[in-house]
Formats: sequence, structure tokens, C-alpha cells
Amino acid sequence: MLYVKNLHKSYQSGNKSYSVLKGINLSVADQEFVAVMGPSGSGKSTLLNCISCYIPFEQGTITLGNKELKGLDENALAKVRNEKLGFVFQDFMLLDGLTIRENILVPRIIQGKVDLKAEKLADQLLSLFGIDHIAGKYPADVSGGERQRTAVARSLINQPLLILADEPTGNLDSKSSRAVIESFENARNKLGASIFMVTHDSFAASFCDRVILLKDGTVYKTLEASPGCQEEKRSAFQDRLLDAIREMSNINSDQTATGGI
Amino acid sequence: MTTLKQLEKKLQKADAKMAGLYLFCNFISLLLITAYSAMMLSPTVLLVLPEGGDSRKQMTAIFVLALFGCVVFTIYASGLFFRKKAKQLGTLMALGASGRQLLPGLLKEVLLLSSFSCLAGILAGFPFVALLWNSFRLFLTDSAQMVLKFDFKCLYLSAAFFVIVIACSCINAYRYLKRTNIMDVMHEEHRNEPVKELGTWCAPVGFLLILLGAALGYFSPYAYQKLFSAYSPAWLNLFYAPVFIGLYLIMLHTVVHGWSSRRKHPYKNLIARSMMKFQGKQTVNNLLVSTVLTAGTAFAIFYIPMISVGHSMEVNSRPYDYYYHYRADQTVFDKEGISALAAKYDLAIKDFKTAPYLSLAMDGIDTIEDEGRNFHYERVPFLMEGKFFSETAFETLTGAEISIAPGNYMAISNTDETALYYLNSEAEVLTNMATYDSLPISFAGYTHYDLLVSEKGYYVLNDNDYESIAAGITPEWAGNAVFFNIDGKDNYSLAEDFFYTFISFFGPECEYPSYYDRVAKYQAQQAGKVYWGDTEQMTQISYLEPDTTDFRYYWTYMPKIRILDQTDFLRTFSVFLMMFLFIAIICSLAAMIISYTRCMTIALNNRYVFEDLKRLGASPAFLKKEIKGQAGPVFQIPTIVGMTAMYLLYMLLMFANDGKLTSGEIGGMAVCLLILIFLAGIYYLIYRYTVKNMCRQLEV
Repeated sequence: MLYVKNLHKSYQSGNKSYSVLKGINLSVADQEFVAVMGPSGSGKSTLLNCISCYIPFEQGTITLGNKELKGLDENALAKVRNEKLGFVFQDFMLLDGLTIRENILVPRIIQGKVDLKAEKLADQLLSLFGIDHIAGKYPADVSGGERQRTAVARSLINQPLLILADEPTGNLDSKSSRAVIESFENARNKLGASIFMVTHDSFAASFCDRVILLKDGTVYKTLEASPGCQEEKRSAFQDRLLDAIREMSNINSDQTATGGI
Repeated sequence: MTTLKQLEKKLQKADAKMAGLYLFCNFISLLLITAYSAMMLSPTVLLVLPEGGDSRKQMTAIFVLALFGCVVFTIYASGLFFRKKAKQLGTLMALGASGRQLLPGLLKEVLLLSSFSCLAGILAGFPFVALLWNSFRLFLTDSAQMVLKFDFKCLYLSAAFFVIVIACSCINAYRYLKRTNIMDVMHEEHRNEPVKELGTWCAPVGFLLILLGAALGYFSPYAYQKLFSAYSPAWLNLFYAPVFIGLYLIMLHTVVHGWSSRRKHPYKNLIARSMMKFQGKQTVNNLLVSTVLTAGTAFAIFYIPMISVGHSMEVNSRPYDYYYHYRADQTVFDKEGISALAAKYDLAIKDFKTAPYLSLAMDGIDTIEDEGRNFHYERVPFLMEGKFFSETAFETLTGAEISIAPGNYMAISNTDETALYYLNSEAEVLTNMATYDSLPISFAGYTHYDLLVSEKGYYVLNDNDYESIAAGITPEWAGNAVFFNIDGKDNYSLAEDFFYTFISFFGPECEYPSYYDRVAKYQAQQAGKVYWGDTEQMTQISYLEPDTTDFRYYWTYMPKIRILDQTDFLRTFSVFLMMFLFIAIICSLAAMIISYTRCMTIALNNRYVFEDLKRLGASPAFLKKEIKGQAGPVFQIPTIVGMTAMYLLYMLLMFANDGKLTSGEIGGMAVCLLILIFLAGIYYLIYRYTVKNMCRQLEV
């Protein structure tokens, strides 16, 4: 459903050009929950921002559904963002002047299709994520976890092909993180959503079907969870993840040490 | 809420507080610009400030500075508004709203906000002017000339500024929505604006550039005239540009390096300096604008002491209480008449002295205007009128001995020799305008007597030469000068009575200003031209308005009466003085508001830094010190640099006028210094108020 092929992206700082993504290849299947992990500077957020069409990229292709994103004009990209993608940000990005319910409806309002059906869906999402009791409140009056669940609900209002989540648990305590991850699971299991999440949190990643480890702008390793969702299996997957991360870090330090010699 | 329009409306309502600062900045800018232009183009001011005169030029120059300041201020406010708005715009764009969808709503919002704030500012400008001007009239001085009149053409300037504000906000709106990197838009609010770091060389280079710009800007018109024999074009003012570059470098040094030695105390003010550096771009811009406006304030306020101290010293140093002169064909009171008038006020006169003079035509070098801006010099036989005493008459009048060789003449200057501009030192022929007999003559230098300095200069001739050229002269080309003192303390009522009675003796043939020259008129007529003094360019004065500035300042036969000049000075020059006081108030208000707004923005933008410092255990005293470290430079630097630079520039101007500083100028500059100290005190109070508000906002 999402195909990324040979993606390259670099940033310019003064006269110097820094290559951040160096030929990334990956895919996300329908109803799959995929996480991307990696150390700071590995290119996780840049990858997500490229897929989100928030920043332009130089080389490669991104195909969502059957649509190639490169070459689309700003209006077409906006349409993709609105109809095919849902977004969850680390710092929530809710609009402070709107209530929780109104925030959930924003993508529909942008689409110009707020009808009874949409309102009913918003109410269902509120109820699904356990935030129906704060529907009339403003973001400033609710907790971080509730704000992030609002953002998850908002990402689903247009029933997109893919939800893109950038460090969704980064600003949350463990209890709220758990609630947000459960929201994603609910979204996948009950609404058939596909999720692509960037995270630093191995606990959050251990709920995913697949975790892609990025290092220095390339895919270092892909780990797949064993089927099923029991706590034991999740915990074992988290251990495998931590091992892989450790291995990646060791290689990194070895390289540094060798370089030093 | 089902449409994007409704959503935007709700968000706008919720963002009213965020828009508050933008509304305030626009409102203040338009209020100040409207107020300034309303006064600058008011008939009240234009009728008094002479066309083409220095005071009008200064008024316009400071207006340009204020305009520059307000333009930068509104661009800043607009940028600030959009930075705050960016998170909202970015979120909507991230969720799939296209620029095309958002543009109409955003444009409508900024147009509404800008229009509302600008129109409110324009409307408030007029009551503001009326309130301020009438307060001057009520509490400081009043005269018939000070009645406030508006010419609503000033609204063109406000309208132009209004268009700038609208254009700025629309361009900003368009710029934001056109950005392709949505992440940048979303995080715009937290984006730092570090200023480009230059070395410590920028401070000394800045000072050098200021000096260079001041010298180049001042002297280039003279050099141009000398080199090209043409009036200097307006673009020569661009030579002042290094002053602004120099100021910018000094502001940059303040923000990047600070003024305390970092070698000795590398960690001193580290946090305050780094906070300032990372918001550097806007801080440097704000400091520059505030400095320029503070300099404008100083320039405007200096006008008052420089005029009044010099005038006061001149009046007090006069050796006689009364001096007047009159044409011989006019019958004015004699000694007995004056004694009788004084007796009405139980006073007597003493030291009565009178001496005759001749009004003779002098030849000399005239500036002849060619095509375009070019000119050339040419000797003309009837250049100007001069009033000539004989040696004996001069001695009788002044008590000073003088000896002039036959065929020579001396010009009477003041002791400081600062009034040489009006005197002709190049005459070779004098002509009796009744007989057209002429006398070859040579300039033999200056003699001094302060009381006899006037626009139509006085000269002294050898007694025999005087006798020979006086032959056949008619009364209209002759006159008498008179001095006397009051025995005891003079009385203002007597002075006023004397003045009005004196005017009543004169016929309409003497109802003209001092720079109306009968000899120059003759020269123009001989050349078949219309004398410029008979055109509309000439200031009209009237016996019916003896208390106006024009009459008292320019009437050819205006007597010098010590008590009248002392008492009526403020009233006579009220429009001049109050206009410059008004300008100073406008500029200082603008500077203070800009500094205050900048400090509050710094507090707003660095809130998270202060919160982190609190978490790290910083005490309230430490936090307050850091707040002062932010607000201090924003107020101190414009005050110190703006005031010092203008003080030195003013001294340079005074010195460059005649190559010396007169006692009046030194006295005036001393008073200017006191005023600056007072003004700095007001800035300090505003600084204290600002720090208090920053502490409140940051909950320190």
C-alpha cells in the first residue's frame, strides 16, 4: 500500500550539503502497524516528513495506494494529505481555539464534507478512544494522553489509507503512552487502519507488526513480530528489538574506535 | 461548525489575544504618523515656519526618520503575528488544507485586523494632536497663531502608510502559504533568528562609519557646489548612509558581544547574551529603530534650548533697553515724546542717543541661477541695500572710537562674528539711490557692536566720504538709529505701549520684511525682471498683526526692546518651539513603545528558557537579573548611542556653521545636556516599568 523506493534527501547548511536519507527502500502493507526506530540523526523524522509530503525530496519514489507522490502539485499534495493520510504528531498539534470534538472534525471541515455521518463517526471515535467525556473541552483543559488520543481520532476521521505518527508517545508518561498505543491497535483492529510510526520508544514499537531500524540514512535491519498479541510475545519482541539496537550501537562504537585508531 | 470559513472564524475569535499586539503596533504606528503629518502639514505650522527654511527641513528630516521607524515597527509586528499564526496555519496545511483554500480566510483576517487598527490609529491621530497641542497652549504658551487648524491633505501620508501596512501583511500571508516545507511553517514560532556573528571589529568600525557618514553627509553639498557650481541634488543625502550602517554595526556588537569584557568574566551574563543572540535579527532591528528615533527626539528637543538660550543671552547682554531705527520720511516720536510716554508709567528715560544713517546701494557678487541647478557668480552694480553711519555718528551712538581711511568702509558685526552672512565685504562701489552718484570703495574689515546686527547690515564710512555720498539724498533713503535706557526697572506695559505706538507712526511704504531689498528690486527692474520680493514667494507682514512671529521676526523696522523680547519670546516663537516639542514627544513615544514591545516579545519568546532556569533552581533574584540583562540593552543602547551621537553631531553642526562655538551655543549645549539627562531619566522609568511587567509575565 505504501512503497518507498531509493529515497534520497539532503539538507543544505550554508555551502555544505548533508545527506540524510541515502536510498531508503521500504513498504507498508494494508492494515499493517510498522514502526521505524533508530538513533538521533538516522533520518527517521525526515523519512516520515517526506512520506507526509511536508518536505520535498530529491530522488526516489513514494507510492501511496496506486498514486505516485513525486511530481504532484501543491493542491494535489494537499488532497493526498487530507484524504489518504492521517497524522499524529509528538506535540499533538491540536488547534487551541477548537474543542476536542471540533479538532477531530478538522480534516473533514477542510474537505468540506461535514455531515451527520461525519459527526456520527467523530462521536464513535471519541467513544472508541475513551475521550467522549471531554468532547466539549478545549485542548488546554485536558491531559497530554487525552490530547494525543484526540490526535489519533483526528487522524482517522477521513478513513485514510495510512496513519503517519511522529513520536506519538514522546511527550507522554507510560500510562498515557499505553493508552495511545492501544488507540493505534484499536484503529488497526477495529477500523482496519495502517499505521507507520516513528519512535524512540522500544515499548511502543514492540506493539507493531514490524520494526524497521534506520541507521545513517539507510535501513539497517527489519524485525518482524511473531503473530498474535499476547503480552509474552510482545515482551520477547521488545527484547529482540533491544538486542538489535544494542548490536547497532556496538557496531557504531567499534567503527568509531577503529576510526580513532 | 461545518465549513472552513466557520472554523477560521472560530479560530480568529480564539486568537484575539494573539492579534492584540499586532493591532496595538499598527494602531500606534498610524496614530504617530497621522499625528506627525497632521501637524507637519497643518496651516498653523506652515504659515509660521518659513518655506525652504531650516526648521521645515529639520521637521521633514525627522518625519522621514519617524516614518522609517514606524515602517520597521509594523513589519516587525506583522512578522510577529504570522510567527504566532504559523502553528495554526502549519497544522491546517499538514491536515490537508491547501494554500489556495487558506488564502482567502487569512487575507480576510489580516485585512480586517490591519484595516481596523490602521483606521483606528488614523482617527485617533487627530484627537491626539488636538489634545497635545491644546495642552501646550493651556500649560506652556499660547498665541493667536497657535490656534490649531488641520489640512486633511495629511491623510494622503496616512493613507500611503496604511497601504504599506496592508501590503506587508498580505505579502507575509502569501509568503507563508507558499512555503513548501510545512514542518518549517509549523515550527516557525520556535525558530531562532540568530544574527550573523561578526568579530569585535564591528564596534570600532561602526563608530568610524558614523563619524565618516556625518562628515561626508554634511560637507558633500559644499564640496559639490564648489566643484560643479551647481546646487547640490537631494541624492547627496545618501552620503549620510554610513551613519546608519555604523549604527547597525554597533547594535550588532551589543547583541553579539555585549560591552563587558568576556576575557575577564567569560560566564558573566552568558545566559542573557545567548538569549539575545538567538533572537538577534529582530533585536538588532529594534535597537536600530529605537536609536534613530531617540536621536530624532534629541535633535528636535535641542531646537528649543538652542534658540531660547542664545536669544536670552543676546537680549540680556544688550547695553540698551531700547533700540529702534526709522526711515527719515516717517515721523516717529522724539526724545520728549518717549519721555512723556514713559511718564505715563511713572518712568523716565536716560542715555538717549541717536545718529543718522544713509541707505545706500552696494555692488557685489551675486549668485546668478542658470539652467537646471547650475549657477555662476557675477558682479552686479545694485546688489543690496546697506545702512551706513559716518565715523562720528557711530562714535556718538556706541561710544567706541573708530577711524576709517577715505575710500574704505567697515561692516558692523557682532562680537563673535557669527552674523557675517548678511554683510557685504566685497563692495567696490556705493550708490546714492536718489542722485545715482557713486563712490568707489574698499572693504576695510569688521567693527563690532552687537545691538546693530540686523539682516540689512550696518556699515561705517569715513566722515568725508559720508558727506560726499549723502549729497542730494532724499528722506526715503535716509534714517535714524536710536538707543535709550529706562531709569530704573522697565515696565512691560510701557514696552508694549511703545511698540504699538511706534508701529502706528509708519506708513504703508514701510510695511515690508527685512529681506525685501529696494536696491535689489531696482537691479531686477533694470534687467527687465520682476523682483522676487513682489511675487507670492515673499512673506507678507501686516501692521494689523504686530504679535505674529513673522512681524516680530522680520519687519524691517522692528525695534529691539529688552523687556518685550524677554517676556514675549515664548509666545512669539510658540509655534516653532511647540512644533519641535511635539516632534520630540512623538519620536520619544515611538522609541519607548518599540523598546517596550520588544522587551515583552523577548519575554514571550524566551518563556521556556526562564521555566527551565526555574527548574534548574534559579532564584528569583537570578531570574530578575537575567530579565534585566534582556531589557537593559534594549533601553540603554538606544538612549546612550542615540543621544550621544546626536549631541556630538549637533556640536559639529554648530561648529561647522562658522568655525567656532559661540558663548550662546555653548550655553545652549549645556542646557541640551541637562534635557538629555532628564529624558534619560524618563527612559529609565519606562525601563523599570517594563522590567516589572516582564517579571509579571514570566511569573518571577
